[in-house]
Amino acid sequence: MQALKIVITGSYAAGKTQLIRTISDIETISTDYEVTLDEERQLKRETTVALDFGTIAINEQVTLYLFGTPGQERFDFMWEHLTVGCLGYVVMVDSTRPGHFAETQRLMSRFAEITDAPYIVAANKQDDEAALPVSYVRRRLGVPLEIPVVPCVATDRPSVKGVLLSLLRYIAAQSQASDE
Amino acid sequence: MALEGTLQDMSLSDLFQIFRMGPKTGVLILASVAERGIIYVAAGKVIDAVLATSPGNRVQAAQEEAVIQMLLWDHASFVFRHDANVLNRSPRITQDGEWLVMEGMRRREDPARATPYQSITLDTKLQLSPLPSSAESGVSLDVNQWRILSQVSISPNLRTICEATGIEPAQAIRTVAELMAIGLVEVVIPTPAAKASTKSVAHDPVASMAPAVGSSDLAATASRMGADCGERPQVGRGLLEAIMRRIRGL
Ligand SMILES: Nc1nc2c(ncn2[C@@H]2O[C@H](COP(=O)(O)OP(=O)(O)O)[C@@H](O)[C@H]2O)c(=O)[nH]1
Ligand SMILES: [Mg+2]
Repeated sequence: MQALKIVITGSYAAGKTQLIRTISDIETISTDYEVTLDEERQLKRETTVALDFGTIAINEQVTLYLFGTPGQERFDFMWEHLTVGCLGYVVMVDSTRPGHFAETQRLMSRFAEITDAPYIVAANKQDDEAALPVSYVRRRLGVPLEIPVVPCVATDRPSVKGVLLSLLRYIAAQSQASDE
Repeated sequence: MALEGTLQDMSLSDLFQIFRMGPKTGVLILASVAERGIIYVAAGKVIDAVLATSPGNRVQAAQEEAVIQMLLWDHASFVFRHDANVLNRSPRITQDGEWLVMEGMRRREDPARATPYQSITLDTKLQLSPLPSSAESGVSLDVNQWRILSQVSISPNLRTICEATGIEPAQAIRTVAELMAIGLVEVVIPTPAAKASTKSVAHDPVASMAPAVGSSDLAATASRMGADCGERPQVGRGLLEAIMRRIRGL
C-alpha cells in the first residue's frame, strides 16, 4: 500500500482539526466493545500533544493521509518529522484574526526552511460575516504571487474539497514545470 | 493519574492481587504487539474483559477466555485507570481472578493451547493503519510516538526508524506497541507468513490486503523518496488525477 501525506498547518485555532474532521473517512462505531475503546482514547488524551490525523482511501493501493501539525510551539521540531515525504501542505489562517498573521508568517518561513514541498494558503472561516477578504489575507501575509491563496470554510465539506483540490492542482502544475 | 507499566514490571496476576487488595475499580488496558485487551475491575473483582486485534478492533475473545489469553502474554504494556463507572457495568465474568490465573498457568504448560504471539523486531515493517476513525483525531501522542509515527510511511523497517529518530530500539518497540494499541500503526505481514497465518488474520480485511501490499512496496517507496532530490515522493500525474477524482467524489 502506498501512503501519501498532506500536512495541514497553521497557527492556533486556524481550523486544522476542523478541516481534517470534515474530510476524513469515518469509521462507524456500533458494538458495545468498540465503544469501550473510547476509554482507551481517553487515557491517551492525558499525554501531551494532540494529533490531527485523517485518511482518505484513494483506492485499494493508495491512502491519502492528512496530518495536522501540533499547535504548541515547543513541538516545532515535530514539523520536520511530519513533513518528511509529504506531497504538499496547506497553511491555514484564520481570516477573522489579524492578530495571528504575524505568527502565521513565522510559521510559513519555518516551513520553507524545512521543506520545499509545494503549499497553498487557505484563508479559513470565510463563512464569518466579518472575515477579511482573501486578497487582503494574501497581502498581509506577503504570499508570493505564484502561491494560491484560497477561501476556506473548514466546516463545509465542498469547501474543504476545494482546498485540497487546489493544492493537488498546484502540485501537479509544479511537477509538470519541473519535468520541462 | 494512572498505573502504567509493562508485564515485565508487573505480571497480570500481581495486578489482580493489587486490585483485590485495594479494592480497586477501573479499567485495565493491555497492549501487546498485535492485540489489545481491556479488563474491567469492579471493587477488586475482574468483571468483564475483551481482547481485540489491533489494528482492526476485531474481537478475538471476551470474558474469561480473554483474560486467560492475556495471562499468557509475556510482553505487553498496561495502563490501569480508576473509573467508578465500572461499578455500574453488569459482570460478565463469573470465575474469580484466582481461578483465571490458575487456568492461565494450565494453558501455559500446554503451549499448543496458547495463542501465537507476534513480536516486533527491528526488521518489522510498519505501515499506517488504512482506516483510523475520525474519532482518532482526538488522540494525543507523546514525543516518541510522534517521532515514530511520522517515520512509519517512509521507512522500510523499524531499524531505519530508530536510525532516523535516534530512539533506542527497546523504547521504539514499546512505542510501536502503543501506536498499534491506539490503532494508528500496524505491522506489514510478509507475504509467505500471511498465507500461513491464523484464521483471524486471514479474515481481517486489513491483514488480507497485506499480500497485495507487500513489504517490498514500502521499501521501494522509501528508497524512491530517498532517491528523489528532495525528500518528497515521486507521484505521477495519473495518481494525482486519481486522488483528485476521489476527492471530487467525496
Ligand atoms: N465559523 C467557522 N468556524 C470555524 C471554521 N473552522 C474552524 N472553526 C472553529 O474555530 C475553532 C478552532 O478550530 P480548530 O479546528 O480547533 O483549530 P486548530 O487549532 O487549527 O486545530 C473551533 O471552534 C472551530 O469550530 C470555519 O471555517 N468557520
Ligand atoms: Mg487542533
